[in-house]
Amino acid sequence: MILVFSLSACTKQEKKRYEAEFLLLFDTLTQIVGYTDTEEEFAAHVDLIYDNLEEYHQLFDIYHNYDGMNNMKTINDQAGIAPVKVDQKIIDLLLFSKEVYDITDGKVNAAYGAVLKIWHDHRDAGIDDPDKATLPDMDQLEEASKHTDFHQVILDEKNMTVYLPDPEMRLDVGAIAKGYATEQVGRLAEGNGMVSGLISVGGNVRSIGVKGDSSSTPWKVGIQNPIEQDGADIRKIILTNASLVTSGIYERYYIVGGEKYHHIIDPETLFPAEYYLSITILCADSGLADALSTSVFNMPFEQGLALIERMPDTEALWVFHDGQIKTSSHFDDYIAE
Amino acid sequence: MKFFRRTDIIVIISILAVSAVSWGIHQYFFAEDKGKAEIYYYSKLVETVDLSNGDERKFSIPQDENVTLQVYRDGSIAFIESDCKDRVCIHAGKLKTTGQFAACLPNGIVVKIVPHKERDEDDVDLVIGN
Repeated sequence: MILVFSLSACTKQEKKRYEAEFLLLFDTLTQIVGYTDTEEEFAAHVDLIYDNLEEYHQLFDIYHNYDGMNNMKTINDQAGIAPVKVDQKIIDLLLFSKEVYDITDGKVNAAYGAVLKIWHDHRDAGIDDPDKATLPDMDQLEEASKHTDFHQVILDEKNMTVYLPDPEMRLDVGAIAKGYATEQVGRLAEGNGMVSGLISVGGNVRSIGVKGDSSSTPWKVGIQNPIEQDGADIRKIILTNASLVTSGIYERYYIVGGEKYHHIIDPETLFPAEYYLSITILCADSGLADALSTSVFNMPFEQGLALIERMPDTEALWVFHDGQIKTSSHFDDYIAE
Repeated sequence: MKFFRRTDIIVIISILAVSAVSWGIHQYFFAEDKGKAEIYYYSKLVETVDLSNGDERKFSIPQDENVTLQVYRDGSIAFIESDCKDRVCIHAGKLKTTGQFAACLPNGIVVKIVPHKERDEDDVDLVIGN
């Protein structure tokens, strides 16, 4: 599933640009861009990134079992039954989840699976058979929401186990898993000697260094305007050792009675959040960027702005339904001329 | 009525001349060079489509006739029909800027926009949110 090719021939001393893509992980497209001296060097970085992303993908999967592996699904299946021995990577993700749960006042909640599963099942059925698409029942959502207190998750770091004492509780790390995994593989690639790279896992972008050609300019990532999807209205953002993510509602949704229902569920209303068309977050850590994009999506503007402004070196861009765009105080510093 | 002094005219003419030369240089080096679309089927490049010739046409790749792509006169390309259920590929809309991509994961098809010749400084490395 890996594709490697050189895009431009440069002078002898200059590093060459390579790109690779793969389809199979995290139900999305992963893209890697890098400047290296040789194709072999780039391929080695790509292999490392792929192998580790695959492991994160399997560990964080709540829908499938994998041979010889306890993953998020195993923890869910054992809710109310027994603690599950897990890989350190799951412990680390849940510790990170706890951190962002507290930072965002519960707007990003890895224990929100009971509610999200109801929406997921209705969405899947509605996509399979659009004529019979239905909305979840409010009573059912409210009942499920009683089983979502993340602080009840028992993390035993010493014995490396996770236990959900509430048999109805379910973990779902969909709001942070991709960004978190992107951050971790970015760090691994840096440790492996990658000095100029760009990794995007379904739009969770993490940059390493600057472009490795003679320009040594920062990476430049475009954000598509969600209203004018004509392919031309692109805002260009410069990135140096930073992460960028956009959460939007215009691609993944299903339709009931002519209305679109997207996949980001607001814990206040138990329904898809209706404040914005998209949120873009810029900060150093890709996992944090992913978590913040979901939480800010679920907040009125003033509350989201206050959250972003109190986070160090973090910027955001809001696109409202009427096309209005607002940004945090220093977002514009990162817009390319 | 305002009279130009001879020196003004010379200055104006030189400015015009410099502008003309700069415009020419700009056109030569930086004029919008509509890109190409590369179409991948399970990570194998199967077709490259020139987006610069103003053609408007629908087509499928031979590997999967159930997915239709459309090239537009303005140099953009989009998924317009697919037998996938989630329709994420179609919702991605039109692509025309270098770095943009859309994927139909269930059918293993990726379309990405690449520069016609060399990348230039204004090109983005990739585009998100589409």
